[in-house]
Amino acid sequence: MGESLAALIRPLALALWGAVLLVSTLTSRLELLLRGVFHPLVGLSGVVLLAIALQQALQGRRERHWNRSWALSGLLAIAVLLLPPNPSFSDLASNRNSDLGSDVELDFLLPPGQRSLTDWVRLLRSQPDPQLYNGDPVRISGFVLTQPDGPPQLGRLLVRCCLADATPIGLPVRWPSGFSAQPDQWLAIEGRMGVDNVAGQQRSVVLPERIRTIPRPAKPLEP
Amino acid sequence: MSRLATIWAIFQGLLLEALPFLLIGVLIAGLARWIAPGGRWLQRLPSQPLLAPLTGAALGFALPACECGNVPVARRLLAGGAPLGSALGFLFAAPVLNPIVLASTWAAFPDQPWLLAARPTAALLLALALSALLQQWPEVQLLEPALLEERRLSQPLAEVGLLERRSGLVGAAPVTAPPTPERPNLATVLEHSSREFLDLAGLLVLGSALAAVVQTLLPRTWLLAVGGAPTISVLSLMLMAVVVSVCSSVDAFLALGFAAQITPGALLAFLVLGPVVDLKLLGLFGVVLKPRAIALTAAGACVVVLLIGQWVNLWLL
Repeated sequence: MGESLAALIRPLALALWGAVLLVSTLTSRLELLLRGVFHPLVGLSGVVLLAIALQQALQGRRERHWNRSWALSGLLAIAVLLLPPNPSFSDLASNRNSDLGSDVELDFLLPPGQRSLTDWVRLLRSQPDPQLYNGDPVRISGFVLTQPDGPPQLGRLLVRCCLADATPIGLPVRWPSGFSAQPDQWLAIEGRMGVDNVAGQQRSVVLPERIRTIPRPAKPLEP
Repeated sequence: MSRLATIWAIFQGLLLEALPFLLIGVLIAGLARWIAPGGRWLQRLPSQPLLAPLTGAALGFALPACECGNVPVARRLLAGGAPLGSALGFLFAAPVLNPIVLASTWAAFPDQPWLLAARPTAALLLALALSALLQQWPEVQLLEPALLEERRLSQPLAEVGLLERRSGLVGAAPVTAPPTPERPNLATVLEHSSREFLDLAGLLVLGSALAAVVQTLLPRTWLLAVGGAPTISVLSLMLMAVVVSVCSSVDAFLALGFAAQITPGALLAFLVLGPVVDLKLLGLFGVVLKPRAIALTAAGACVVVLLIGQWVNLWLL
């Protein structure tokens, strides 16, 4: 088996890495890892690698030696194929600063019921007066974002390039008594915007009327 | 357990982002081998101390690749007998001085035109300084041994003696791949490129794993010294660039996330140091440079970038 596998190891390892790139593009994996603009490049690279692997396999040039590092990298490619990324969003968030970066500019404003969690956070940063939104309907979804000081918020991760720069944002929620929000749990909340008093300062808070547990959305990261 | 899942995801993110660029670099190196097999034009590149790294840096515009992609291209330049200064100039400056990276910097910071001029200028200064620094040592102490042997075969006998060549006439056993003066067929080029890709992908895997572990376990707040402290902010963003290890083609988007919190010098330091020194690159550089040359590169780059960052802060703050 040694010799025949040694002959095939190069095309096999190439094909496995090609498959990793192509499968990640065709399934929703890349949505979790990379900004959309790079997805076609990753997919195209996968196709090129598969084509080179096929050409090399057909050419049948035999390897003289068993190359252990190629075999290991092939095994790792299989591991990547079998174990899709499943990061803990709370872990990612707890390690990062929560900041929207440069000054937030809102180009247009959706009606309250259609605003996403990210729209709300951006709006509250640019116009922080809580009385402006008191009583507005809210329909948002996000994951439970634990806070070092205080109750958990409903959060999202913003990504500009890849998972390495995921930045958490969150909205305070007045959780109903008896409801325990688990870290990383994805929730859809319908309710109204209210006003809370924290340390003598007013801030907007979501008052849920209906909370549903939902699966992680296909595109969990927001631009 | 959730930490492990996060490390695994960040590892995949870094790897999937870098592999396409590595493939582009390997294919460009293969194409160069196919178009100009003997690499005669490489040997005719200038070798003057200033002109050589400038020419190398300018090659970045012709060969668009980020830092992972340009390692195989720089190795090919050196193996083909290009002057050391040109190849080093390319290795250190091309990850910034290329159309893709400049376009992404502009896309990320359209409101900061100074950055679009400062980033390539600083990258060029850094490449000139590093190339001058490394050339204080003879090639034998700088270059990885297998690359040095390949390089000796491409250099004219006037520059290297038979004893140094070890090509079978005198000295040890012949090296396995003497350069073929005639054009290799496409299949041979593809075979060579595919070997190179797999070798470098293995090193990239190690570097990405290291970067993923470090950035998951190290709180990001340690890396982002918020506030206006000029020196500390430059130093912390330099550490961030080394740890985060994203490709130069996307790092401007990453920097956008914290640009508002840091000093302009720190922002520039992040965008200039990352393409030359980061954890992911450590393994890849091993196919070109010896470990002590890599250490000297890292130390020299840190000093130069710190100076540039400080100077920009003095100028703009």
